[in-house]
Amino acid sequence: MRVIKFSIPEIIFGIGSINYVGLCAKQLGAKKIFLVSDPGLEQAGWVSKIIDLLQKDDLQYAYYSDITTNPRDFQVHLGAEKYLSEQADVVVALGGGSPLDAAKGIALIASNGGQIRDYEGANKIQKPLPPMLFIPSTAGSGSDISQFAIITDVERQIKMSIISRTLVPNISIIDPYLLTTKDEKLIISSAIDALCHAIESYLSKIASPFTESQSLLAIQIIFKNLKPAIETRSLDHLCQLSIASTSAGMAFSNASLGAVHALAHALGGMFDTMHGLVHPVLLPHVMKFNLPSCKEKMAHIGKILTGENKPEYNTAMSAIEAIERFFSTFNINCRLSKIVKDKSKLEPVCKMAHNDACLLTNPREATWEDLLAICEEAW
Amino acid sequence: MSQIKPSLQDLIGIEYIKLGFYRELQEKIIELQSSNLQLDIKQQHLQSIIDGITDVMATVSLDFKITSINRFYYDFFEEKDPIGKLCFNVFRQRNSVCPECPIFTALQTNQVQRQIVMIPIRGKIHHFEITASPLRKSDSYPIGVLILKRDVTLEKEYQAKLYQAEKMSTIGLLAASVAHEMNNPLTAISGFAQGLRRKLPVLKKNLDKSVSDEIEEYLNIILKECKRCKDIVQNLLDLGRIRQQKMTLLDLNSIIIDTVQLIRHHSKKRKKDFIKLRLYKQLPMIYGDISQLKQVVLNLLLNALDATEKKGDIIITTSKVGKELVEMSIQDSGVGIPKEYLDRLFEPFFTTKPLGRGTGIGLSTCYNIIKNHEGDIFVSSELGKGTTFTVQLPIKSIIALSST
Repeated sequence: MRVIKFSIPEIIFGIGSINYVGLCAKQLGAKKIFLVSDPGLEQAGWVSKIIDLLQKDDLQYAYYSDITTNPRDFQVHLGAEKYLSEQADVVVALGGGSPLDAAKGIALIASNGGQIRDYEGANKIQKPLPPMLFIPSTAGSGSDISQFAIITDVERQIKMSIISRTLVPNISIIDPYLLTTKDEKLIISSAIDALCHAIESYLSKIASPFTESQSLLAIQIIFKNLKPAIETRSLDHLCQLSIASTSAGMAFSNASLGAVHALAHALGGMFDTMHGLVHPVLLPHVMKFNLPSCKEKMAHIGKILTGENKPEYNTAMSAIEAIERFFSTFNINCRLSKIVKDKSKLEPVCKMAHNDACLLTNPREATWEDLLAICEEAW
Repeated sequence: MSQIKPSLQDLIGIEYIKLGFYRELQEKIIELQSSNLQLDIKQQHLQSIIDGITDVMATVSLDFKITSINRFYYDFFEEKDPIGKLCFNVFRQRNSVCPECPIFTALQTNQVQRQIVMIPIRGKIHHFEITASPLRKSDSYPIGVLILKRDVTLEKEYQAKLYQAEKMSTIGLLAASVAHEMNNPLTAISGFAQGLRRKLPVLKKNLDKSVSDEIEEYLNIILKECKRCKDIVQNLLDLGRIRQQKMTLLDLNSIIIDTVQLIRHHSKKRKKDFIKLRLYKQLPMIYGDISQLKQVVLNLLLNALDATEKKGDIIITTSKVGKELVEMSIQDSGVGIPKEYLDRLFEPFFTTKPLGRGTGIGLSTCYNIIKNHEGDIFVSSELGKGTTFTVQLPIKSIIALSST
């Protein structure tokens, strides 16, 4: 067995865990917090809740929220400037994937300098980052757990993957209560993002027993709880979705992902497509493409999802079918043509995706033409 | 942009950990240690410069509190722990700011101030030259004053001595010219008096014996007093312009012995051994004028005799001081000399003796003779206990002499 690695931040999980934000920040040495979030969370009242908690602990703060979905390089640079001019110390980020990834970029540029694109790729970071304390507001991105930050390079119109253990936050405070203010659409797309994390990391070339167990746990929980969570909005089900998202995060942070995310990053970079919308469109088709390389593992998923025990190929196919059925129970788009109107744009998307770091761990080698074939099937 | 595509191993990243600040901290510590060391060296350098300043040095804050001192402070001042105490308290034992305080003026004018003040320290008056310069921060706002106190007592003493010597030589010259002028009328008086005396036999024939006897007596008195005047005049002339010296190699001890015998002859009433001699046997020969040095010994001995008229002894000691000096001291256990007179003792015409007994020339003559011998004479005395005159004369090698 080869040498493997598994690393995650300290995780504080549970209803009300958000109340520990001040204490944790202080333990990280905070005097003046750099708080990163976005306007949506301001409106939901969570930003002022965090500020109250910080002030209760006599912590000063500087607030930064000029962040869109698919955070841009310049937003990161402005944030880093503000971090430095405010002489802040600990970075606290509240939000979905965008504010969290932006916060990682800000911490990186504030401490290491330069441009965010200087760090594109794996293990380019040379100096330590300010302590990071992340509070995910969605059950999906996994950015609060992972060693990835995805930032859009506006000039090149691509989403850059920055990969480094140094990007793993120090502490992740996961309070499922934050999910209560999310609308149905966001809960679904986050959960499907998490499901996609779980499946891709499970099938990854560098999956390990530590990540596989987390992946399978996440798949099972999401299948079982997403529907009732939407219908009942009960805290119990929302809790389960948070657990699944965190597990999937632990898995993909260590096992990485595959072709779905490679393509999703390319689409996000070129069309600013919301990340969560891409997965239901591409996941079944990518799985079909990958099937020959990971029949056994996919069959294992099929067995778990359907309880059937047919020949391996059939069981593997049943997994894909189960996932398609699962998607169809929610009112979500499953055609790529709804995202990319112009079919001729698919070629540059696939060429770009072919260079994405996520493709490295895809179970089956894929050329850009392979990717194009997948996209055309999904169109 | 040439991005190296990450590999699977990069994603696993076994050799990459979440970076912490420990290494950075270590580097910082090493950096700080080395800059600390440099500061230490700089500090020591500055300290050695400060220690090299031989004046008393102190810094005083704007509210007159001493903030630092150097080690010479302790040579002069009593207060063991002056830091934080008030400067006028520590330096001058005052309870309020000194009048004409140089610190105050320095602060007010923002300029260096100099002053000479007298400060009594352990019973002795010290003269200090005080320099007060404002200490400024980089923005030139004064934050205190640097005080330097230089002990100029010795310089002051030398200055006084120089002044004394100048005065004496002036007076000496004046006295010599006056004496010279006096010589002519004196010669006339004594000449005519002698002429009169020669006429005495003729007068005796024509006059009553009692009258001529009286005239003779008067003439003798006139001539005797003239002689006395001439002696005084001659002494005065000596004072201003020493006669041609006859320098020879001589033994100071034998000069002393000769002179003492002369004195003993004149003072038979007193105990036999009231003059004690403690002469150093291997006393080196010195080069000098025998008669002048005899005069010095005689003058000093006569003074000692006067001082011990009622009681006391005289001890004459000779010794060798170092390799270059012989020393003679004449110590009496007589009445002593009041402190206020000591400074003026060698001035011409200064005398404490009753009118007619002393001319005030003896000691100043001694002073001139010894100075002409490139020697030194000084006195110490305590009232009721006695006086010691000390004469130091240089031993000159024959070789050195031949070149003089």
